Amino acid sequence: MAHASAHPATNTGVDNRKLLMWLFLASECLFFGGLIGTYLLYRGRHAVPCEDGTISACVFPIDKVVNGVKYEGLFDIPFTSISAFVLLMSSVTMVLALAALQRNDRRGSQIWLLATALLGMTFLAGQAFEFTEFYHAGLHLDTNLFGTTFFVLTGFHGAHVSVGVIILLSLFVMGWRGRLSHENALNVELAGLYWHFVDIVWIVIFTLVYLIQT
Amino acid sequence: MLTIAMLAGGVKGFFENPEYLLGIPLAAVGVLGVLLAISALAPFELRWPEPVQYEPEQLVEPEEGHPSPATYIQVGIILAVVTAIEVAFYYIDIAQGVLLGVLLTLSLLKFVLVVLWFMHLRFDSRILSVLFTGGMALAGALFIVVLATLGANLV
Repeated sequence: MAHASAHPATNTGVDNRKLLMWLFLASECLFFGGLIGTYLLYRGRHAVPCEDGTISACVFPIDKVVNGVKYEGLFDIPFTSISAFVLLMSSVTMVLALAALQRNDRRGSQIWLLATALLGMTFLAGQAFEFTEFYHAGLHLDTNLFGTTFFVLTGFHGAHVSVGVIILLSLFVMGWRGRLSHENALNVELAGLYWHFVDIVWIVIFTLVYLIQT
Repeated sequence: MLTIAMLAGGVKGFFENPEYLLGIPLAAVGVLGVLLAISALAPFELRWPEPVQYEPEQLVEPEEGHPSPATYIQVGIILAVVTAIEVAFYYIDIAQGVLLGVLLTLSLLKFVLVVLWFMHLRFDSRILSVLFTGGMALAGALFIVVLATLGANLV
């Protein structure tokens, strides 16, 4: 979009870097689709001897303690809602950073980039706190299928947020050293695409994992 | 000392002893102290890169057809309100089927708003929409196949 004309013409009319980023995001859809599907499959299940003596992924009652974990009430919805809100607002600051740079308002862009990184770090701190709480509640990576799929799904999302924060801080340093302007705003735009994707993945996770618990 | 204890305790010890979390800010203070000591004792001058002074008159007009910052903020407010409605519905005692439908619809609304406005898919080349929609369709197909294949054996 904005500065594709500043780059050599391509057959698609879209800058190749941007096309590649969208292709990467499309592949990420498959990656997270697989993780979310696996989580939904094994939610509330444990792979231990069932009542009939077989070992399989059987359902455990959500209001009873199984493997030392009581599934019901495990999630702290108000806390996670605030985390979701923080990540959502980081998408707003991210798009404002891009809009500012496209106007060549480099100082404004710097502020919004830093705000986005700080909001991302706040989200990560919340996730670390949540993981620690679950650990103390007895839910570990190897406790049951639910624990495994939950930690893998949200952990991979957290890893993506961490990478995003590193990219944002790198852009902030680039801007600090005067290497960002409206002429190379595509750098911020690509980072923004990645960041917004991480946000929409959390929109799905928040609904399917936290709010819909049956 | 607490930081050393945290490192010595390993990951498991770290999680089992929440007071070890105090080691994180202590470690940060320690690193800052080391950096200050190096900058004070170094035989050469160490300094932060100077920020560039920006000229306000260099501002350029945004491309035509692109949303203004005010529009982005409006979309952000809508997203925040929809999230609040989602959470409110979670606490309302209604039929599970209705709750499922409402939450999925609201989630889809947020998803679409972010993709169309913040990711600029509404204003960008159609080829990007095709790419992303293709990825989503493949993910959806994978999702259905996995649930239909494995779910039947596990229930």
